[in-house]
Amino acid sequence: MIRFITFADSVSAWFGKAFAWLILVMTFAMSYEVIVRYLFNAPTAWSLDVSFIMYGALFMMGGAYTLSRGGHVRGDFIYRLWQPRTQAKVELVLYFIFFFPGVLALVFAGWKYAVRSWGYLEVSVNSPVGVPVFQLKAIIVAAGLLLTLQGIAQVLRCIHCMRTGEWLLAADDIEETEVLLMEQGAHDILAHGSEAIDIVRPSTGDGSQDSKRP
Amino acid sequence: MTDPQVALFMLGIFIIVIFLGFPIAFTLMAMGISFGYYAYFDSHRMWRAYERAVENGADSWTQFELWVDGFFNNNIFDLFVNQTYSVMTNEVLTAVPLFLFMGYIVERANIVSRLFGTLNVAARRVPGSMAVAALITCTLFATATGIVGAVVTLMGLLAYPAMLNARYNVSFASGIICAGGCLGILIPPSIMLIVYAASSGVSIVQLYAGALLPGLLLSGLYLVYVVSRSILQPQLAPRPTEDEVPSVPVGELAVMLLTSFFPLAFLILAVLGAILFGLATPTEAASIGALGGLVLAVAYRALTWQRLRESVYLTVRTSAMVCWLFVGSWTFSSVFSYLGGEQVIYDFITGLDLTPLQFLLLAQLIIFLLGWPLEWSEIIIIFVPIFLPLLPYYEIDPLFFGILVALNLQTSFLTPPMAMAAYYLKGIAPPYVQLVDIFKGCSPYLVMVFISMAVLYNFPQIAFWLPRMIY
Repeated sequence: MIRFITFADSVSAWFGKAFAWLILVMTFAMSYEVIVRYLFNAPTAWSLDVSFIMYGALFMMGGAYTLSRGGHVRGDFIYRLWQPRTQAKVELVLYFIFFFPGVLALVFAGWKYAVRSWGYLEVSVNSPVGVPVFQLKAIIVAAGLLLTLQGIAQVLRCIHCMRTGEWLLAADDIEETEVLLMEQGAHDILAHGSEAIDIVRPSTGDGSQDSKRP
Repeated sequence: MTDPQVALFMLGIFIIVIFLGFPIAFTLMAMGISFGYYAYFDSHRMWRAYERAVENGADSWTQFELWVDGFFNNNIFDLFVNQTYSVMTNEVLTAVPLFLFMGYIVERANIVSRLFGTLNVAARRVPGSMAVAALITCTLFATATGIVGAVVTLMGLLAYPAMLNARYNVSFASGIICAGGCLGILIPPSIMLIVYAASSGVSIVQLYAGALLPGLLLSGLYLVYVVSRSILQPQLAPRPTEDEVPSVPVGELAVMLLTSFFPLAFLILAVLGAILFGLATPTEAASIGALGGLVLAVAYRALTWQRLRESVYLTVRTSAMVCWLFVGSWTFSSVFSYLGGEQVIYDFITGLDLTPLQFLLLAQLIIFLLGWPLEWSEIIIIFVPIFLPLLPYYEIDPLFFGILVALNLQTSFLTPPMAMAAYYLKGIAPPYVQLVDIFKGCSPYLVMVFISMAVLYNFPQIAFWLPRMIY
């Protein structure tokens, strides 16, 4: 069971992180557009479509990764007062009622939608260049599949927690944070805000040397 | 049950499930699907092919297949996928990950310590000098990052201990960090306004132009408060000794300002200017801002592989959180209004015979109360759209309403039980600092938020002047 959870976590994280790098591509592509438009008076025809595609793929594929790290926003002011066992019991039920119907619909309905789009290799209507967008529709299905996988892992997590009375946390990627949070016991606080956040140590010296470790 | 009753039932269940603490985005999706399935259910249309096959006496396998096909032949699935795709291609929301990325990069650019150090020296002679320096640093840094947690934790590790060491009152110091840190979601460029623009259809450029002066007004109010409290009660904010804040010759101070204050201010002004003067779309300006943030980080020799990776991963997590909320809520709200729920609320509120001012007060009060347990993202994406259709009836400009909401939601970070700013600070503060002290320090700022809202209501030109000047 733990192996499956770890497996799902790492699959979600792998995809989420791989697509996360699109943010760099997006930064450079959009900046390039601005530069060529003003310096060379030669705007690109593809930049609007590229920004959609990057952003759409980025957040859709990040959904499962965010779920595995408990990053989706919840109104947990009552929830956090419960024992982990109670949390797990309630969550287990809620996953079946309020999670799987939505993500499975994403897979099945998205599938029909994507197949239609692949059938004629749909291109964007925003510009005459014809930037392909059919791959973006396939992203819906892929995101749904990842979420389903991660959802199963979350259900197993609930069962694990009901047995042991402790939540099995996903390995954190931001090592510095992890060390600090262990010290401060603040993991709970940072996980459930409406933004992903970690702690960056401010540099104390002249700023020229790196301040990785406290 | 009639359809509108079902819609209200749907809203009721949703609120209960929120309180159970299940991730809201998925709750919205699943409830949208299931209630939508009911709303669009039409057995005759859905199973037409199946009925024909039964009449023609097809074999049982074909019948089964057609029945399953019919089961999924409900319009809700098309609606759901279309709504999802329209979130994925929303041209306002494309700026969200870029601004987040800029924020996370700037957070890691080693810029805050320089900024605070410099301002601390520069403000030496002002009463409550450290508080003033902390507040200005918070405002500037918050504006650049737009990530409340980043500002509060970073300033909490940096300025907070410095203030405590200088024998500042614990509550007083806590309030400054918490309230100052929240300004980033108000002063443009901010994510919250992008999200409001996507929910309400108000132009993001106009919103940014409109929110700039009210944001500075609030920040100015905070400054006035801090300085006057320090004059009236000097024991709250004692003058720092020569040891704590050394005096620096003017020339050196100028160099310090030039290397810390101005690059960040320039970055913000460039991004904001490009948007307001129509030189670039918010998305493009955000990408320039992110690029500028990277350049700053390199210039301050703070950009390591590790830090870049962290920023990229944090960006994807927050973007996914915000945007999935949209995926859920657009499906949910279209089903809700298809069932007639929106109309019921519209009729109910307009039936109350409120004056526009009463309506505005009621709406803001509800939003303020929602801010106690919930946070800005849920409130703006899910609850604010309930009020939006009512605005034309009361002749309230959605731009004006949005800025009032943005001011109001400053409080959502400061009010318990879910006061994220206070929790962030508690998470990194020395153990003797109690949560109660932090809340006590935050409460004067709530009053100032209300004052600024009242001022804005009485002088709406503060919000409208800049947008009208630009257009």
